[in-house]
Amino acid sequence: MLLAMLLGGCGDESFHGKDISHLMPPLDFELVDERGEAVTEQVFAGRPVAMYFGFTHCPDVCPTTLARLAAAARRLPEQARGRLQLAFVSVDPARDGPAQLAAYTAAFSEDMVGLTGSQRQLQALTRRYRITYGYDERDAAGNYDVSHSSAVWVFNERLEPEVMLFDDLSIEQVADDLGRVVGGGEIP
Amino acid sequence: MKYTSAILTLAVLAAGAFWWVSGISPDAPLAIENARVRLVPGGGPMAGYMDIRNHSDAQIRLVEARSGAFGRVMIHRSVLEGGRAAMQHQAGGVRIEPGEVVSFEPGGLHLMLMQPQQTLKVGDPVEIVLEFDGIEPRLRPVSFTVVPVTAP
Repeated sequence: MLLAMLLGGCGDESFHGKDISHLMPPLDFELVDERGEAVTEQVFAGRPVAMYFGFTHCPDVCPTTLARLAAAARRLPEQARGRLQLAFVSVDPARDGPAQLAAYTAAFSEDMVGLTGSQRQLQALTRRYRITYGYDERDAAGNYDVSHSSAVWVFNERLEPEVMLFDDLSIEQVADDLGRVVGGGEIP
Repeated sequence: MKYTSAILTLAVLAAGAFWWVSGISPDAPLAIENARVRLVPGGGPMAGYMDIRNHSDAQIRLVEARSGAFGRVMIHRSVLEGGRAAMQHQAGGVRIEPGEVVSFEPGGLHLMLMQPQQTLKVGDPVEIVLEFDGIEPRLRPVSFTVVPVTAP
């Protein structure tokens, strides 16, 4: 019934975003969460995850994408929304400590967790999904821009990649794809 | 009848004069609308958005912005290409051609508002002074409204 409702909005079986199922390996990482605790991908075990790679000193693109993602998640039926975990991985650990991450993610959704790690840890995760990031030169005040991926990566409850969501999708389309992944497994 | 039209003429002239004096004429050469700052917690930079309308017959250029509420303000453009996001500093400013509206909006042009000097909350007014080339006065103080980070 719930599954029928979730799939009802869309006639065909394909994602609006880029289908990456079977193209990439399951989630696997060692990172630090926004409470400062070391975590692995098992922190998400049994829950679908929508993950974005950015940095908090990103005033325009990151808040826009995260706000759209949170708005799409709020469109899901309550039960589905409760299962979906939103994750923000900062690729700028020098500026994004646990407190900074916690304040930032709380502004978007109570279901969003902030993660970061050492360069080695971040590179292990981003290379796994062929994501690159890089730092611009510092200006006189020590500020720098970080180039990063603009996609949201969605994993199912077995932590297998399902779909990549880009900025060209509407909030309705993002919600539709999220619903497809969240509703794809067993509904408790 | 003559009196009525004379009074009407005076009223129209007076309204015109009032518009001119108050600067709310729809033909004001430069109009800045929908000015807002999206609140990002944590002390990091925020983005300022607005629409700049050039009703004059000359090119206008936004060259700089500053605010007592932020340690530093820069004019930036986000570039989304091939699945990657980066920012470009608009060192030469932003041109607004005669009759054109340039929108600073999410995913594109924005004021990068760095080092907030005070804790802001939704609904607060924030004054940002915009400096233009090609129009007098060059300095235009604009009241921006703080909106939630989830606002468009």
